[in-house]
Amino acid sequence: MSIAVKTLSLKQREARFGRVLIAPAVIIIAALIFYPILYQMYMSFFDVKLLDRSVFVGFENYREILTDSSFWKAVFTTAVYVFFTVAGTTLTGLGVALLMNRDFPLRGLVRSLILLPYVAPVISVVYAWKQIFDPVNGIFMHLTVEKLHLFDERFNLIGSPDSALWIAIIFSIWKNFPFTYLMILSRLQAVDTSLYEAAEIDGAGGWQKFKAITLPEVYFVMGALILLRIIWNFFKFEDIYLLADNVKVLSIYTYFKAFVGTMELGTGAALAILQFSLLVLLILFYVKRVLKW
Amino acid sequence: MKKIILTFMIILLVSMIMITGCAKEEKAAVGPVEIEFWTTETQSDRMSTIQVLVDSFQIMYPEITIKLIPVDENDMPTQINAAAAAGTLPAIIECAAENAVAFGSEGFLDSAAATALINEIGADKFYAGTLKLNSSGSGEYYGIPYHGWVQGLWYRADWFEEAGLNPPSTWKDIEKAAKYFYKPDENKYGILVGTKDEAYAEQCFTQFAMSNNASLFDKNGKLIFNSPEMKETIEFYSKIAKYNPPGPQTWRARDYYLQGKMAMFFYSTYIMDDLALQEVAAGSLTSENFKDLAGSDFNPELVEHTRLASIITNKSPAGFGVVVSLAMPNQGDPAKTAAAKKFLRYLYTPNAYITWLHMAPGGMNPVLKEIAVNERFQNDPKGIFKHYGKEKMAEIIQGLDKIETFSIVEGNRIAAASKIYSQQIIPQMLYKITQEGMNVDSAMKWAEGEMNKLAE
Amino acid sequence: MVKKKNIFRSTGILLLILLVVLFSVFPFIQMLSTSLKYQWDWGNPSLIPTKINLEAYKELLNIGQAEKNIPDSIKNLLDENPELTTEQRKQILSKYASTGDVFPFMNYFRNSLLLSFSAAFLSLVLAVFGAYSFSRTKYRGRGVIQRGVLFVYMFGGIILLVPLFKLAVAVGLARTPSGSFLALLIIYIVQTLPVSLYMLGNYFRTIPLSIEESALMEGCSRFGTIWRIIIPLSISAIVTVFIYSFMIAWNEYLYVSVFLKSYKDLYTLPIGLRALFVSKNAIWDRIMAASMLTAVPVVILFMTIQKNLISGMSAGGVKE
Repeated sequence: MSIAVKTLSLKQREARFGRVLIAPAVIIIAALIFYPILYQMYMSFFDVKLLDRSVFVGFENYREILTDSSFWKAVFTTAVYVFFTVAGTTLTGLGVALLMNRDFPLRGLVRSLILLPYVAPVISVVYAWKQIFDPVNGIFMHLTVEKLHLFDERFNLIGSPDSALWIAIIFSIWKNFPFTYLMILSRLQAVDTSLYEAAEIDGAGGWQKFKAITLPEVYFVMGALILLRIIWNFFKFEDIYLLADNVKVLSIYTYFKAFVGTMELGTGAALAILQFSLLVLLILFYVKRVLKW
Repeated sequence: MKKIILTFMIILLVSMIMITGCAKEEKAAVGPVEIEFWTTETQSDRMSTIQVLVDSFQIMYPEITIKLIPVDENDMPTQINAAAAAGTLPAIIECAAENAVAFGSEGFLDSAAATALINEIGADKFYAGTLKLNSSGSGEYYGIPYHGWVQGLWYRADWFEEAGLNPPSTWKDIEKAAKYFYKPDENKYGILVGTKDEAYAEQCFTQFAMSNNASLFDKNGKLIFNSPEMKETIEFYSKIAKYNPPGPQTWRARDYYLQGKMAMFFYSTYIMDDLALQEVAAGSLTSENFKDLAGSDFNPELVEHTRLASIITNKSPAGFGVVVSLAMPNQGDPAKTAAAKKFLRYLYTPNAYITWLHMAPGGMNPVLKEIAVNERFQNDPKGIFKHYGKEKMAEIIQGLDKIETFSIVEGNRIAAASKIYSQQIIPQMLYKITQEGMNVDSAMKWAEGEMNKLAE
Repeated sequence: MVKKKNIFRSTGILLLILLVVLFSVFPFIQMLSTSLKYQWDWGNPSLIPTKINLEAYKELLNIGQAEKNIPDSIKNLLDENPELTTEQRKQILSKYASTGDVFPFMNYFRNSLLLSFSAAFLSLVLAVFGAYSFSRTKYRGRGVIQRGVLFVYMFGGIILLVPLFKLAVAVGLARTPSGSFLALLIIYIVQTLPVSLYMLGNYFRTIPLSIEESALMEGCSRFGTIWRIIIPLSISAIVTVFIYSFMIAWNEYLYVSVFLKSYKDLYTLPIGLRALFVSKNAIWDRIMAASMLTAVPVVILFMTIQKNLISGMSAGGVKE
């Protein structure tokens, strides 16, 4: 009897302790994210007037967006952007992590140097990227057209919307692969080296060792990294806006729709809800199919 | 391990102290009335000149504190909208007249205060055309014109002479020259017109449209965008845009001109100021210490060889420019509006006015008739009046009175045209045609649809 | 035969490493090159300046800058104002002459560092406790909270800007400089917290319970075990989370540009660079020099952390 009471109270104390620990995080998140979310949901049913009373319009904002062909184009662009940046970042990160896991001269310096893209503020590196691809003065055109004769004429890689998407993708990979690499490398270094030795005795080649030992070890790290990267890149705004605002992914589309010229907050809110739903669908699919959670 | 945490703690502590340190500073600065002034003159030397104006004003009116805040021209609509949503509108903004009208028709601006100030200064002292650009259409003004620039086609006179070409002031001559100088193999280009979806494209385009008698609205405010004249202009514009440097371009591409890689470019009279700087730089560069420069693209005689064609003619001659206005957003506090008015009144006193205009001679031109002939004004620090001559400058300033835009039709102010301007419908259309390869008819149809939505 | 293959392999790998390094640093080489070029040299695509120009760095670091000339128009303005005393006139003029500091780099850097460090640190503290709660304690609603935290994270992006700004104005934070700074700090904490919780929670689960239990037996309190066992064992994950949160605040532009617009003294590096970009017409050398100056200290900072980071990382990672 007395033991039962004691365990119960221990359990309760345990629960209380757990709740106390999480409380600050939950409170701060609830205050600063739940409020805006509910606010957005509410606003999405209104034609918002900044200085006047807003008018209730029901699903009109949603109808307007869903019938706009440029919205669907933005969805497609976002899908392309997210797919290639996530795949590129993860693969580059994995490859670099495998490379950096070896011994070679100046390894410390090299490891620091390749962190550069990740740690420099976006706004400072975009100008350098723009200069490299400048159609008239940039080194890229100078090399490929004048020196190597790969192309017949100069063209504007960042300016033209089709190629700009790819530059934005490469930029994102360049900017973010160090983070992925860092996370994977830390996992790789924890792999028990005796596993490899055992495999070698069994006569396994490099690829087999990678498939049988390395990949399972990093599988979940990569799964989590991919999940986060999807969320991050789905909403990516600054990197794209500052480098090439003609790449109309959803966040840029929203920005121009809701902020430029006259502000349409109602439409913007409806767009936010739609983006959110799209992302949730995407994540559910990913978690179910890819991570098999 | 513990060291790391200790370091964190110290940093946190220091940061707390720094934050409270900030709090103390701000208490000292609070005065009876504090207002914000958002200026689009973001350049640091201009900011410090305006700060002098603010400082000298504050000594005369110690109860008023003015905070000067630079806002990039392109950010202005976003910032104003965010501030309006939050109820933190500044007391004074400086922005293009078109934007002032757009903000005004959204209900952000105190037009009664602006109108009262114009009457106080004397409406007849302004160039009438500049006032009209700010009118609300019902006898009031959304903003007060302050200064303005004129646009034109700047060109390399020496290249034109050598090639035996006429100065680029008619459609035909422009096209001929652009085609002649377009040598992409040598990395040289014929002309720069705006093809990125930004205000610059609209500014270049408007002048062509005006010279072809094409407009957006008739004088009753009916949309007449879909006209043969408009279509002709769009077709011509997209034709000469082919002689641009590759890809969508905006005014920043004028660097190519300064580097001797382009023959003509549309630009405001602000370039006078920039070219003058270039001249100063040239003076120091051609001296002995830079002998090894021979053979590079740099041309010290660039200023000498640059001319301006400010009027473009096809069916009729047309000039274009932008008047920059001062406006007073609604404050909900009469004391703040009164303070803003006092400061604006001060900015129109001759001394303060000339100080302002001399920040960028050529680019900033007066809208008050008496200032235009003021001797001190004409004796500018960069010698622009001397270089271009008083007649040319007078012609430029007179041009402000006759600026033609889509929003004034036979003396009537069309507010919907300002909305179309601030939504950048025309630049977007030009972008679709020149960059995305949309054909002219469907692009025009798209634009007309968007315009109809706004005109409702 | 085997040896030959090995030489091929190792040169191949070295080449690959070189390629990765080149890919990473090339834009920075371009940056350095432009920052050292004269304006007339910008049209030259070569990375090597025709003539080295150090002016941009000198101007940014305020080395050897002569006092600004006072234009006549300003002298006239002040001279002809009868209400000004000589004292006041002098004051205004000296203020004008001293505003030559186009890019108060140290100031921006301090603000950025302060904001990013405090945001990352506070986010980390909350995340350590929260993650411990997720991974070590049991209570009803834990799963909901756990998933909910990451779920709300999917509602990100620019669209929260207006409601958050409105909120900050409504509670009065946006009206003072320190309040705006604080608002930003809280926003960054919130923006990084979900991921920090998620990553740390997963990591804590990989730490064997037995170590902790023996510490509890020895009379350690729960907080004591967090402090003595959990934190030391997961230091590498903690550093990673810290870096992640730090970088979010370090890079952020949109929120800063709205919240701190009116407070020039509090500008962080991104908005300071942006202000620099529009502060003069011919700006490429200065913008690039400023970017270099921005990057260098951070790289040094990370080089020092990095040893600790990689060697210390042990089993776990972000394992679910």
